[in-house]
Amino acid sequence: MFKLVFKNLISHPIRSGITAVSVGVALFLICLLTSIVTTLQSGLEAASATRLVVMSSISLFVDIPLSYQERIAKVDGIKNIVKWQWFGGYYQDQKNFFAQFAVDPDRMFEVYPEVKVDEATKQKFLTQRNACIVGSQLAAEFPEWVETGKIPITGALFPHPSGAAWDFELAGVYRSEAANFDNRTLFFRWDLFEETLKGEGEAPGVGVYVMNVEPGADIERMRAEIEGMFENGPATVRCDTESEFTRQFISMLGDIPMFLSWIGAGVLVAILLGAINAMLMAGREQTHDVGILKALGFTDGAAFGLLITQSLILCVFGGVLGIALAAALEAPITLALGAQFPGFFIKDSTYLAAAAVSLVVGLAAGAVPAWTALRVNCVEALRAKGA
Amino acid sequence: MPEPMIRVRDLTKRYQRGGETLTVLNNLKLEMEEGRFYALMGPSGSGKTTLLNLVGGLDSPDSGELIVAGENLAELDNNDLARWRAANVGFVFQGFNLIGVLTARENVELPLKLTPLSAAQRRKQAETALQLVGLGDRMDHRPRQLSGGQEQRVAIARAIATDPKVILADEPTGDLDRKSAEQVLDLLVRLNREFKKTILMVTHDPAAAERAQSIVHLDKGQLGRIEHNQPAVAAK
Repeated sequence: MFKLVFKNLISHPIRSGITAVSVGVALFLICLLTSIVTTLQSGLEAASATRLVVMSSISLFVDIPLSYQERIAKVDGIKNIVKWQWFGGYYQDQKNFFAQFAVDPDRMFEVYPEVKVDEATKQKFLTQRNACIVGSQLAAEFPEWVETGKIPITGALFPHPSGAAWDFELAGVYRSEAANFDNRTLFFRWDLFEETLKGEGEAPGVGVYVMNVEPGADIERMRAEIEGMFENGPATVRCDTESEFTRQFISMLGDIPMFLSWIGAGVLVAILLGAINAMLMAGREQTHDVGILKALGFTDGAAFGLLITQSLILCVFGGVLGIALAAALEAPITLALGAQFPGFFIKDSTYLAAAAVSLVVGLAAGAVPAWTALRVNCVEALRAKGA
Repeated sequence: MPEPMIRVRDLTKRYQRGGETLTVLNNLKLEMEEGRFYALMGPSGSGKTTLLNLVGGLDSPDSGELIVAGENLAELDNNDLARWRAANVGFVFQGFNLIGVLTARENVELPLKLTPLSAAQRRKQAETALQLVGLGDRMDHRPRQLSGGQEQRVAIARAIATDPKVILADEPTGDLDRKSAEQVLDLLVRLNREFKKTILMVTHDPAAAERAQSIVHLDKGQLGRIEHNQPAVAAK
């Protein structure tokens, strides 16, 4: 019987091929879309609930004063505080987009213990004014940085007073295994940033302050205290846990998970309809064969199996194709989406879900023709025109 | 007296056509002996093919009793009927009804998959059946690569592959030229004479019917006369 299933499939190579490939492409897209969602979610899940982020209450794009740092640091329960400022520059060409931040080098590794660097890198970053560290993914994208140790970044938001690029020296490469901290960012020292711009008479503001807190600290009290502290100040602030901040940051991009889920559902429905159409055609063509099989003594169940197996083989083959494509392209996609979705990766559970989807599509697409084959009267089936 | 191979009692079959009930077989009574070759004749609409389908368990009667090869077919459900067909009946159709994507050998092997035979045994048996019908050199040909007569001989090989008790042939020579028709009829006669198969053949062709041992005439769903020829005859 399997031989008949196989021969029926290869008797229409173009139709079978198109159906399998379209299922494969659809499942590849589903893997991709699902992984964007899971990448965003994993950042959210990994974000700490015991780290606090202070930002302007108006918007993330509004700076808060440098002078706030000292006052926030005195709040009971704060362990360390580090300031961040979005630099918004680019390397050589604007298409080379990645995040750069000016940070306090000495506090950085204390607030973010998940960021790992070797001791030499750390010492260089702590002591050399124009030193910077870059994430491992970024270092892989621009190997010339590691070779030369030089990273010229053109400041789009903060042009260098000389009109030239900011010349950073690579202290080393950091690695983060936590999903909330990507490996595609450049960090340089706040003192260089501040002093360079101060020379022009304008002290830069701070994007966000990030603090880690003492164990057992009363987070809610601290939040209220920090927000209340600047109620009448030059800039009001809001204080959130890192996980809440991350959630809000993602929501700034719109409801991406929902949007992507709808696209994924659309792709799924489209491919299901395509597969159903292909299987209905196969079912119609094989009605006569089903009549022959039944006349020879094959049961209704065997007739059902003939059609459902064809559908399953086509869709599972397509599924394997899609999963293989996703696995093969994961690295280039991670590179391509690095700027928008740093830390992009395809979970094993996504591959499993894709395999399950291919099975479900196979069953759903084959259900109608297989059920028709099961129910059709042998004499009527024999009267049907063969393929 | 031996039990007949086919016993039909008060068999009635009706169809619904365009809101009307059409009685195709009406209280038919008939008995057919084991090992005989019967031709079933009658005008179009007399119920010949319907009777053949009922005897082969492809369709079920509205009322009456139908015992074939010792089994009361009315008592079998669909799956049991399928298993019974696989074990007891071989079909030969006017349109050959071979599966186009399979080779001659694969077509003949198909009903053998319902037997406990191993793959090697199935293959051997299919080859033996094809050699018996004179197609030992066409085993790997697909139906579209064969002539009509050859296709029908493949269908006969398939019908006998499982060594069924009854062979049911519906206009087996209807789509064939005279020469091919003679070859097919010769085969059926041989199966009856040498292998003692009970054969029921529907035909419009008096010359084909002459090759059978008995000719059963149907008319308007009822039994007409039965003619008994000499024992099944080979081609002249």
